[in-house]
Amino acid sequence: MSLEIRLEHIKRDIPLVSPTEALARCRTGAVLIDVREAEEIALGTPEAARALGRGYLEMRIGDEVPDTGQPVLLLCAATTRSLLAAADLRQLGYRNVAVVEGGFNRWKNEGLPYILPEAADADARQRYARQIILPELGPAGQALLGKARVVLVGAGGLGSPAALYLAAAGVGTLGLIDHDRVERSNLHRQVVHRDDRVGMDKTESARLTLEALNPTVRIRRHTLRLDAGNVEAVLADYDLVVDGSDNFATRYLVSDACQRLGLPNVYGAVQGFEGQVSVFPAGGQPCYRCLFAEPPPPELAPSCSEAGVLGVVPGIIGLLQALEVIKLITGIGEPLIGRLLLFDARRSSLRQVLLHADPECRYCAPGREFPGYADDPHFCHS
Amino acid sequence: MQDASVPATITIELPAALQPLAGNAMALPATGATVAEALADLGGSHPLLLSRILTRGGQLRPHVNLFINERDVRSADGLATVVRPGDTLLVVPSVAGG
Ligand SMILES: [Zn+2]
Repeated sequence: MSLEIRLEHIKRDIPLVSPTEALARCRTGAVLIDVREAEEIALGTPEAARALGRGYLEMRIGDEVPDTGQPVLLLCAATTRSLLAAADLRQLGYRNVAVVEGGFNRWKNEGLPYILPEAADADARQRYARQIILPELGPAGQALLGKARVVLVGAGGLGSPAALYLAAAGVGTLGLIDHDRVERSNLHRQVVHRDDRVGMDKTESARLTLEALNPTVRIRRHTLRLDAGNVEAVLADYDLVVDGSDNFATRYLVSDACQRLGLPNVYGAVQGFEGQVSVFPAGGQPCYRCLFAEPPPPELAPSCSEAGVLGVVPGIIGLLQALEVIKLITGIGEPLIGRLLLFDARRSSLRQVLLHADPECRYCAPGREFPGYADDPHFCHS
Repeated sequence: MQDASVPATITIELPAALQPLAGNAMALPATGATVAEALADLGGSHPLLLSRILTRGGQLRPHVNLFINERDVRSADGLATVVRPGDTLLVVPSVAGG
């Protein structure tokens, strides 16, 4: 018997009720059972629902609902799995089984109340309350942040503000890549570090601050200098890369690795009173090399360790990067893809220009084979 | 493109890194019918500044982008892109600081 025919048979015996009707029945004693998988439930479930996956339904229903006369409502993403589960419960003797028509998708679309399940414990509900109530984010957006794995290249001027706000917002896993130790001259802009940590590895100093801010975030340290030999192994564990590095060699390496691994690259760079931000999309165009095909010749590139910077400027640019990360993870708004934001602190101006996707780009043009990592010289010997 | 040969006065906006080569001006006026002509006009008075934007061979340096009214000239006609009176030519070089 085909699935379609079987479902038609089941529908003759099992009533379908609307989500609104289901909610009303819950309030008068019906048991609502969410039969979806755990990762679906993580994105939200009706508050009254009991999570009982399809796989264990027959084994656990006896404990959950000992009275086979009890009204039972079944909910999946749409309707199919609930109908199949309803037929099973019928065979087990449950006489009063109904299916929520349209499932959780319709439940949510109709604006009925739902919650983050167990992962969103009391801590998370308090911690993120003021952003979860944003309709654009909601429990589903918060769950996406919690599942996201973001790696920050550099725990410095850009990485500090980005890491602080991403940890605060509840990004589940934050990776920190930096081979440096904290110096006193870093502290005017690298605000994730502290004076009493001068000499400590930056990844460790940042971990201490971030875990103090939000103990529920998982911090992973990568105390190393990225090179062609290790970049893929480090970045491959993440969903999204934030480029806050301080030299051209690392920027090209990170861009090329993101292209190769199909990771979005949230780019930020600063010099003096100016900063740039953009998002280079996962496996798409344009990439960093479309924007800047080659690094400047060394005689035209300011030495990174000598170049001046006002701490507020990487603060602003790093936060714009954090904002783009949150938008990419949650799907809120328009990502900064194909656009470059230019910030000038002296004019207090923020303007954007449109980027050109180079049809001949060796790294991101469609159909190109990965040309390998360039042996870029280090411009900064920091 | 009927006005392709008509010189226009445009504003060239400079990044901070290049402003010392322009007498610390944030922007300079230049006249020409195309981006190349406007840059040549700029180079007449500020040759060192121009050398940071174009190579000796007169090509746009690969770490520099030029935008006319927010559009990358590489996606138009490059240095041959026609300019119009009042246009803004924005110079954006690569920076790496973090
Ligand atoms: Zn590209």
